[in-house]
Amino acid sequence: MTESWQPDFEKLPDFERLFDEHQSMVFSLALRMTGDRGLAEEIAQDVFMELDRHIAKIESAQHAICWLRRVTISRSTDALRRRRVRGIDQWVAIDESHGAREPESGSPLGGRIEALLATLPEAQRAAIILRYQEDLTPEEIAATLGAPLATVKSQLQRGLKLLRAKVESQLKEYIRAV
Amino acid sequence: MQFEDPFENIDEFERELRKSLERQPAPPSLKRKVMEQRWHERAQARSNRTTARQRTRMIWLERIAASLVVASVAGSALAGHYAIERRKGEEAKQQVFTALRITNHAFQVMNRQLQERDKNSQ
Repeated sequence: MTESWQPDFEKLPDFERLFDEHQSMVFSLALRMTGDRGLAEEIAQDVFMELDRHIAKIESAQHAICWLRRVTISRSTDALRRRRVRGIDQWVAIDESHGAREPESGSPLGGRIEALLATLPEAQRAAIILRYQEDLTPEEIAATLGAPLATVKSQLQRGLKLLRAKVESQLKEYIRAV
Repeated sequence: MQFEDPFENIDEFERELRKSLERQPAPPSLKRKVMEQRWHERAQARSNRTTARQRTRMIWLERIAASLVVASVAGSALAGHYAIERRKGEEAKQQVFTALRITNHAFQVMNRQLQERDKNSQ
């Protein structure tokens, strides 16, 4: 949908259109990075206000998407850092009863994967979210995060391995409990 | 109980991961909040621009007024200076005329005395 966006030079840049098209992407990125709906909404709000202030520098639809992804990840990381500094770590350990974080939609397994994703280190989490939510290639992720390609590939590989191990461990415990 | 790996291969796990990371719709309140904040920021920016314009105008008016005061003071001083110089010139001219009149008078007296002496000697 976003790829078919045609720049209308009379109206470019159109803040409201950009907002309507990308609000879901920005909110989801912030939500997956922070695991907190309220904080994700605040971050999304900040990101769009930043976009409004810098909209004259946005050259194309693709540029807007890249800019929004980069700024959202960066703002989310900053927000998590601020929380850690204030001593509020929102990453509550997953409840042993497996009922703490019920998914809002989709399968229970999906919800559990999403919850476990939140326990990964930030850099790995960002790479995995951009890879599997935004469907970006490692090269595009590297460009978005401003990181070397080798680092991104390593983060993806290690993040996937760690996440898979965590999911398997959770499922084992679940099966044992049943 | 034997645990069976639910993900036969990494592709299946990635598929499940992709499914669980589908984009979620943003809360409806987000748009309202962003638009309201945008409106406030714009209003604030407009107000700041107006204030800045008014301040600039006031600064220019103050500069013009100060320039006019300085120019009028300098003009008055210059005019005063010229008036004093003109008065001094007039006084000097009058003094020269007085001196010439005195000299002329002295010459006339001398001339008269010489004429009387010439008459007496004849």
